[in-house]
Amino acid sequence: MRTVIAGVRPWRHDLAGCLHACAATLLRHAGVAPLEVLGSAWRFEYESGDFRREEYYFPGRPGESLLQSLAPYHPLRSSWHLPADPDQGWAQVRQQVAAGQPVAVAVDNFHLPFRPAYQDVHSNHLLIVYGFDDERGVVRVLDAVPPRFDGEITVGQLTAARGSGNQAAHERDLFFADQRIDHRWLQAHVDPDSALVLNRDTVRDVLRRNLDGFAAPSGTTTYSGLAGQAAFLRDIARRLADGEPVTDELFVVAGAVLAVTALHADWLGLAGQALGDHALVETSRHVERVAHHWSAVRILAALTRTGDVSVDRLRRRFRALMAAHEATLTELDDLVVTW
Amino acid sequence: MITTATADPIGRPLPALCVDLSPHANNTGVTSADNLSGGAFNIWANTYPREELPAPGRGIVLGSVPFRFPAPAADGSDNVRCTGQLVALPPGRYDWIYLLAAAERRTEDIVHLHFADGTSDPEWLRVSDFWPETPGRFGERESIRCAVLHYPRHVQPRMGPVIWRERVPVPREDTLVAMRLPDNPAVHLFAATLLAGSPLAGPPLAGAGEPSQATTGEQR
Repeated sequence: MRTVIAGVRPWRHDLAGCLHACAATLLRHAGVAPLEVLGSAWRFEYESGDFRREEYYFPGRPGESLLQSLAPYHPLRSSWHLPADPDQGWAQVRQQVAAGQPVAVAVDNFHLPFRPAYQDVHSNHLLIVYGFDDERGVVRVLDAVPPRFDGEITVGQLTAARGSGNQAAHERDLFFADQRIDHRWLQAHVDPDSALVLNRDTVRDVLRRNLDGFAAPSGTTTYSGLAGQAAFLRDIARRLADGEPVTDELFVVAGAVLAVTALHADWLGLAGQALGDHALVETSRHVERVAHHWSAVRILAALTRTGDVSVDRLRRRFRALMAAHEATLTELDDLVVTW
Repeated sequence: MITTATADPIGRPLPALCVDLSPHANNTGVTSADNLSGGAFNIWANTYPREELPAPGRGIVLGSVPFRFPAPAADGSDNVRCTGQLVALPPGRYDWIYLLAAAERRTEDIVHLHFADGTSDPEWLRVSDFWPETPGRFGERESIRCAVLHYPRHVQPRMGPVIWRERVPVPREDTLVAMRLPDNPAVHLFAATLLAGSPLAGPPLAGAGEPSQATTGEQR
């Protein structure tokens, strides 16, 4: 049998990674516009110590599925499948694709010939599988992360990437190594009718939910809301000062928060344009400014590994980020009140 | 300091000063193919290919603005990763600070401008991602686009990093003497030029050194 599913297209945001790229492709395939769904929620939810060395890690509330945590206001859900062995791993993915459903699979870039990390660096990544040819022993994959690849690799290559132990071997196996992959694959559950219509009522509802989320008190084991974000940053700085290795945790969490903040900024801009509301467009730019703080935090985090960034420098950036975030929430609150 | 000239939209000459950033260089962002692990522009130790960039120390013109492309220091450093440095500038009245810059993921931050009378103004510096296949976000010009990206152990084709041409306004009509860079290590500066007036927006002008082969990337 051979098949290539139609309507599978790449999507990428410059401040997001493979998780949002794959989620967007799966949404688009189901006929749902990605930004409207992936950009609506803006929140901070992180269960202490939960982070994993995966490019597709995303902090969420306990019990949420991965894609649900990306879009908690929509009926988007996902299930991780953990096959027993490589054969079952391919059989399950093949069955989905044969039925016309593209899926996201976890891979180690070390084994993928089209990735710059090939035979060099271990990195736990996510891409889309959407076709195969049994006779030729090839599989069709889509990876929107540069260098974008939309083509065939052998089933053997994909199986090696999916079965990798992902063990760090040298000093450049950073951030996303040492997390077994075990042929995991992700099934998305998308309601084709879940597209959000951007009107004043729906936008106000989203803004209100985001504001309420940030205003809620933080949990005891989960950092949540603005208070939780402040506590997380405060604790990271304290742990770094105490000599704890926090580099990977801060880098991975900051990358995820950067993505969701940047997507929400774009969502607000989209909503502002759709509603002809200049104030909303201006506020979107201020949310974007918060995202740009996270860009800085992400690099500062990475540089803590070599001691190039002091705790004081990190704290200064955290303070600036929190001040910008708080001011932006006040601005959004003022906006909602006037509607 | 290098004094050179460009022109305004009706052809009148504009003074332009290429600022020497080398005293502040603290990062090696460019390597040659025979020394791939000799630098680390970003946290992954990627670097720009020397072979595709203007010659070190060479004058180039990018979108009508002259720049001096950096020559590596003795320790190999060739660009400024922003960590809050105070950069002294030749005192003068300027309208724009033009920069050759790139960021590790798009970001923006404050540059503090300092004036001869002791006053200071904050202004925005915005820099898009240097990463391949990533468009500019801030309406800046793509000044130098490479075809390959250097990794510590190999040269990666189909991965073309970019250096952007950014500009910071100097609204205060007073004598500028220094600028404080942000403490944001995601931002890298390769070159800076001070300009009075607005340059011609058209194709590169001659006069500040021969444009290199790498200066063809004017497209957005």
